Amino acid sequence: MPLLLPQLPTGPTYGILAEFATPADLYHACERVRDAGFTRWDAHTPFPVHGLEGAMGLRRSPLPWIVLGTGLTGAALGFVLQWWVHATAYPLVISGKPYFAWPAMIPITFELGVLFAALGAVLGMLGLNRLPMHHHPLFKSKVFERVTDDAFFISIESWDPQFDQSATGKLLESLGARRVELLECE
Amino acid sequence: MAQTEAELLDNPVAGSPTLILRSPDFHSITEAVAGPVEGRTPIGWWLFFIPAFALLGLLGIAVSWLFWEGIGIWGLNVPVGWAYDITNFVFWIGIGHAGTLISAILFLFRQKWRTSINRAAEAMTIFAVMCALMFPGIHVGRVWVAYWMFPLPNQMGMWPNFRSPLLWDVFAVSVYGTVSVLFWYVGLIPDLAMMRDRAKTRARKLAYGFFALGWRGSVRQWHHYESAYLVLAALATPLVLSVHSIVSMDFAVSLLPGWHTTIFPPYFVAGAIFSGFAMVLTLMVICRTAFRLEHIVTLRHFDYMAKITLVTGSMVGFAYATEFFTSWYSGNPYEMFAFLNRALGPYAWAYWIMVSCNVISPQVFWFKKARTSIPILFVMSIVINIGMWFERFVIITTSLHRDFLPSAWGHFTPTIWDVSCLLGSFGLFFTMFCLFVRFVPMVATSEVKTVLPQADPHGRSGPEREIQAHRGKLPGRGELAPEGAS
Amino acid sequence: MIPERDRVALRPEQVTIPPGHPWNRIPVLGAVCALLGIAACAILGAANPKQFFFSWLVSFLFFLSLALGALFFVLIQYAAQGGWGIVLRRIGETIFAMLPVMAALFLPLVLGLRDLYSWAVPGAAEQDALLRWKAPYLNVPFFLMRAALYFGIWSFIALLYYRGSRGQDVTGDPGVSARLRRLAGPAIIVLALTQTFASVDWIMSLTPHWYSTMFGVYFFAGSFVGFIALLSVVAVAMRRAGLLDTVISAEHLHDIGKLLFAFTVFWAYIAFSQFFLIWYANLPEETIWYRARMEGSWMTVSLFLMAGHFVAPFFYLMGRTVKRKGATLAVGGAWLLAMHFVDLYWQVMPTLHPEGVRPSALDVAALVAVGGCFVAAASWLMRRQALVPLRDPRLAESLAFENV
Repeated sequence: MPLLLPQLPTGPTYGILAEFATPADLYHACERVRDAGFTRWDAHTPFPVHGLEGAMGLRRSPLPWIVLGTGLTGAALGFVLQWWVHATAYPLVISGKPYFAWPAMIPITFELGVLFAALGAVLGMLGLNRLPMHHHPLFKSKVFERVTDDAFFISIESWDPQFDQSATGKLLESLGARRVELLECE
Repeated sequence: MAQTEAELLDNPVAGSPTLILRSPDFHSITEAVAGPVEGRTPIGWWLFFIPAFALLGLLGIAVSWLFWEGIGIWGLNVPVGWAYDITNFVFWIGIGHAGTLISAILFLFRQKWRTSINRAAEAMTIFAVMCALMFPGIHVGRVWVAYWMFPLPNQMGMWPNFRSPLLWDVFAVSVYGTVSVLFWYVGLIPDLAMMRDRAKTRARKLAYGFFALGWRGSVRQWHHYESAYLVLAALATPLVLSVHSIVSMDFAVSLLPGWHTTIFPPYFVAGAIFSGFAMVLTLMVICRTAFRLEHIVTLRHFDYMAKITLVTGSMVGFAYATEFFTSWYSGNPYEMFAFLNRALGPYAWAYWIMVSCNVISPQVFWFKKARTSIPILFVMSIVINIGMWFERFVIITTSLHRDFLPSAWGHFTPTIWDVSCLLGSFGLFFTMFCLFVRFVPMVATSEVKTVLPQADPHGRSGPEREIQAHRGKLPGRGELAPEGAS
Repeated sequence: MIPERDRVALRPEQVTIPPGHPWNRIPVLGAVCALLGIAACAILGAANPKQFFFSWLVSFLFFLSLALGALFFVLIQYAAQGGWGIVLRRIGETIFAMLPVMAALFLPLVLGLRDLYSWAVPGAAEQDALLRWKAPYLNVPFFLMRAALYFGIWSFIALLYYRGSRGQDVTGDPGVSARLRRLAGPAIIVLALTQTFASVDWIMSLTPHWYSTMFGVYFFAGSFVGFIALLSVVAVAMRRAGLLDTVISAEHLHDIGKLLFAFTVFWAYIAFSQFFLIWYANLPEETIWYRARMEGSWMTVSLFLMAGHFVAPFFYLMGRTVKRKGATLAVGGAWLLAMHFVDLYWQVMPTLHPEGVRPSALDVAALVAVGGCFVAAASWLMRRQALVPLRDPRLAESLAFENV
């Protein structure tokens, strides 16, 4: 399963990288790129920009459902473990309570539920984001180093059906890009 | 027109107060935070690190001697089977809670001011949990069978006692430590990528790059990332409440007067946040000056932190009053004796230190002048932590040393090794914190950038923008806005 | 200061109940219910006074807790300088303005102290050592003085904040906000203490041998859930009725839903902690209260409370969509409002009916009577005022508020 392998275009060209000056410029450009019908593209920012997912047309993340699933699993595991140990495996009368004393099982059930939910959130997020991915064609661009500082980018990949080496670049320039760059895969 | 900090603070009317001063742009934030990490180690850092490391050494010696000779080197006896060890455990766990509150709960309440302090506060949580976990670990006596605490199948067919609050602690604090590390690390990924992209040497690039996981700021990635962050915040909030509640249950499920009282769970949580915020104040006062981050961690941030300290301190005071009233109302002579003994018995000195530090002195924070005065904040933060240490000591020791039968009464005196473990734990904490500020960006840079006015893609923020947004987007008669529309 | 051009021009007509609107009839309907309820109480209560006093106590506590929850909500909004909830604040203010009305509704209970509280029976203390011990606190004169003190303090704070906010509608003076904000901190502390002792006096002393330091917090948790539930129902109802539908948005409903979810969990945490610690230590002087609520059909009610006041709302309110739509949020709110009533019923009634649940017509009559007065007074007040704090300096921020 190519979970951790980068999903990259085949062929020599990766795509086009365009730099924008401000979040506002990026936002409006993203709306236009989305409306133009591109699918294999992305925007890059040093921090999450408010509302940009909507401008890009992204659907809501399925992560909360993953977390709910793992959390319930963890809680169930914790509860079953305690029940089994205290009611079946080695029953002992402790402080005069019945073997299956469910109130006393709540703390650990809750904690394991939270633990598994948190692991689900982090591993789920990494999985959905295809991280770690230490190598990516975008890192070849010198200006891209500023993506974690103060620069904003749009990248359109070459395997998008509407991609065209010259037309796409011109489109991005017309949308207000400060600089447009063609990137190779290797 | 530049506003002084003082003017900025008194602003009940403006919608979005200015959080970051001197109107920096994104790049100058990056420089301000990454600079200290990349530059040479300042002398001041060594001034803190060396004593901390020395105390850590003291801890090593004390713990080694403890393992070799046994628990008898501490002042524990019958009836006082718990004293400094569990006091320190509860003390450090309590301190850790403020970090999670700042990261998670303030995030859920949309308090943007948290972005300047949450990274350091989360790190503080992790180190505090490390210090805390150490104490139950070393106090068991036979440390070499400590693995019996975990439900591992074994040849004896034996299992841990899941009904015991001591075991709930093992699970709760381990989960808390794990989730805190996860939350801290997830928040750190974009900033590690920032350090990677700025790295001048190959070694730094590899080190930061490895842990940055190849983050490239992709919005599709931010999308899932923000969802994960929200989920982790939503999980960490009940986790914080549950962990210190479970710690309080170490005492509350017992039969001892002064220990067995139903208000302990929320009372302990409030006390934990109280002492934790005091520790955050201590650390932030030092760090913002040392690293010249006064424009990012401003007096406004201290104002808010001091207010939270006041609120949680009041909750602690409320719990004291309730317990005091109920000890009389119960008509139970043992309950009443427990409280009179606290105030007037052999440990009265500890009790009155506790009351003056926790209830009386924080009242100074009603006054804005005190909330925004660095010397007062620093002194008060230490006073509060002293008070909260004594609170746990008073609860544990006074209830143990004189319970039901006078013939079983005793007294506890700490030995040099009790004190060494306590001081040594501070060594562990501050050593880890010094290493943290030296090698990791201590402010959540990407989060701080989001609170700058320029980060808003819809133009300048402020009331005018909000009104325009209001005119554009609100639903008409009887209809709700479509989901997710912006 | 927001410049004049930026101040939101909410016209008064947008935010008042227009003449001829069906909601203008609610005060009359409320008054009719109140009269019918009081009549029923008088008739049925003459035959069974003990049941009447207990039923009245439950309904009284229900509506009182909503008013106290409202006061807490508004005070915390002031203290924390929260902007999002300003459009909802007038609803809260109207509800806590009912506190003086609740003072009047407390009076019937004064006549029934001997029926309600075993410690109030003359000569009870002679038989019982514990009651003798508690007599300095649990005696009728001091009890009544305390009740007067609670209502005096609550009414004072309520009227201070209500008048301040209404006055600001006219003058637009931002100094009012600043003054109310500064007073909010001390007011919260006073409210917390009085509310705790009120719950001790009126509920905990029904079982005079029993005590729990958590009880004040438990009452607070329930009252806050109750108020937020009421807020959700009222806000959605107003939107449905065409009032404030351009003002209260899905964002506000979402935040109400989040608060409802969070405080349902908080209530469960507090309720469980109190139960758990008493269960674990198993001391007879403490377990009597829970034993009584596990007797016969009370056990069913206990289980129902766990499932209905926590488990079901927890899963129902978790999702984002449910909280953003008026219909689904209001269903959750109405359910939790009912659960809050069941909670108070479960706290009070086992003292009268230890053998099991004995629903009585007086339960309904008292609810209708007290509720009718409450609704009549609150809706009458609603008619005479703007439904949002018109000239609050931060109203614009609240109108434009957007969720994460």
